[in-house]
Amino acid sequence: MPTLTPPPTKLPPSTHPYAEVIHRLEAGGSMLPDTEENLMQIIGIYKAYAVPMDFYWRDLLYIAERVFLNPLPFFKYFLPQDYLDLPNHYAGESADYRVWQKGEASAHPELLEFIQNGETKQGIPRLLHHLWHDRINMEFAEACMRAMLWHQGMGGQFNDYLESEEYLANADRAIKAYFKGNPLMLGLYKLFPQMFYEKVREASYYANLGLFWEVMAPVFFEMSDRYDAGEFKTVPDAMDFLVNGIFIAAGRPIYHHVYIEDECYEIIPKSKGFTWLYEAALPYVEAIFYRTSPFRGTKSYNAQAGQVPDEQKDFHYGILYADVSPVGTAGIPPTLLMQDMYHFLPDYLEDYYQQHCRGEEDKLIQIGVTFQRSMYNVTSAVIQALRTALLYPLDDPNPEHLLKNRQFFEQQLDRFLRPEARLPDIQSQDYR
Amino acid sequence: MPNIVEIAVSNDAFSTLVTAVKVAELVDALQSPGPFTVFAPTDDAFAKLPPGTIDTLVQNIPQLQRILKYHVVAGKYTTEQLRELEELTSLEGSPIPIRCQTEGFEVKNATVLQADIEATNGIIHVIDTVILMG
Repeated sequence: MPTLTPPPTKLPPSTHPYAEVIHRLEAGGSMLPDTEENLMQIIGIYKAYAVPMDFYWRDLLYIAERVFLNPLPFFKYFLPQDYLDLPNHYAGESADYRVWQKGEASAHPELLEFIQNGETKQGIPRLLHHLWHDRINMEFAEACMRAMLWHQGMGGQFNDYLESEEYLANADRAIKAYFKGNPLMLGLYKLFPQMFYEKVREASYYANLGLFWEVMAPVFFEMSDRYDAGEFKTVPDAMDFLVNGIFIAAGRPIYHHVYIEDECYEIIPKSKGFTWLYEAALPYVEAIFYRTSPFRGTKSYNAQAGQVPDEQKDFHYGILYADVSPVGTAGIPPTLLMQDMYHFLPDYLEDYYQQHCRGEEDKLIQIGVTFQRSMYNVTSAVIQALRTALLYPLDDPNPEHLLKNRQFFEQQLDRFLRPEARLPDIQSQDYR
Repeated sequence: MPNIVEIAVSNDAFSTLVTAVKVAELVDALQSPGPFTVFAPTDDAFAKLPPGTIDTLVQNIPQLQRILKYHVVAGKYTTEQLRELEELTSLEGSPIPIRCQTEGFEVKNATVLQADIEATNGIIHVIDTVILMG
């Protein structure tokens, strides 16, 4: 059972409806209660998430850099060998900063094995695996990219740059080079330039998300290794590791390069100074964890129906609010992710799911609930990282500073006051 | 009177800042006539950042420049002048909240350790925390 955390000294107890969670955050904890069961679940799912993520980031960069504006991208999910070998900047000998200590910089062995054999474990050709949908579900990664593209304006300078003259000039050069000798596409570009610019913007978000996840995959692999070695004892241990990961990667450049006949076109050059934290991580958390959009066909966008909020900032369809029961249903993007993670669960998590609910029968839903717990922990890491960066240490001797920290935590938790939020559910181990 | 860079170089408490400014190729800019107001974090301030933060930044000059530019404001603002203001706009483009209306002098989440160090091309306020945008 989670222990009740006493409020820190110097400030009276919070009167917020989530006062207990706020006191826990003020004591350096996570929104997810610190139990062994929670720790086991979240680390297990981080590992299962990191394997498909190792595919997602590589393919997102492949699409952004090479597939680019291909009007018929039938083979965009078929990663060429050089993208499977693409060295991760946070793993392996050549790393800029080696986060994953034991791992190689190229694609994870379990991923390579899955690409080769699929779920069917038959040595059938890759195209048949693909058509049978026996593969990594890149559509999930693309759904996340589209959520970022659609919501836009979530802080940072990335989105403003996509509207700038400089960006359009860079895009124009790349479009003309890409369709050189193709009068049909160049003619369409002349007629409908905005449509082409919008596709380039989409490709820029492919690059943005790919560069974001390139960091997260080795972070999650390293967490799994440390847990296996007994180095993580508590949920806050896991959260603190994530906070450090956020700071390590904070200053990494976010850019978009396109390679056309081996010439590099810098659509968003590194020299713009865009950073992982401000231009990728924070917009990602806002767009994916909090906002996204209702699953197709479940809500009407008709203004008279009033089924979706008037303002995009009030959208609340992310994993932190999701009812995971529909997971397992066709057309629901998280189903694709749960299915991807299903293939790479560590044994201890497999055993755990077999012991609860309906075992194998509802495993995808149990995975969904675990994933939700794990993302509340990642969100806690983001909240603590923002507090570290923008506010004050938790043991600051100045009560005014502690009050500012508290106001910040309360503001963050206000977003979970709406009834859809799953924060109350994850406080209990019985939510599965 | 020395300029902003000369003051920083001559003070042992700014060795990380001086290194960062050199790596970011901002020395010439900070030696120009300006004037500038610089919120200068001490070595202890940089040491408070979680491990690895600076390693990534020094490998990526445009990104490092952006963080450093957040510590610089165009124009010379003394404490006296800042009492009238609630925020300044940094060279990076993001606002820096200032609180020195009553007692104490705080810049965002940093506390000013020493204010109003005059230079030929501006003024330096020494701060105890690296400030970040957002």
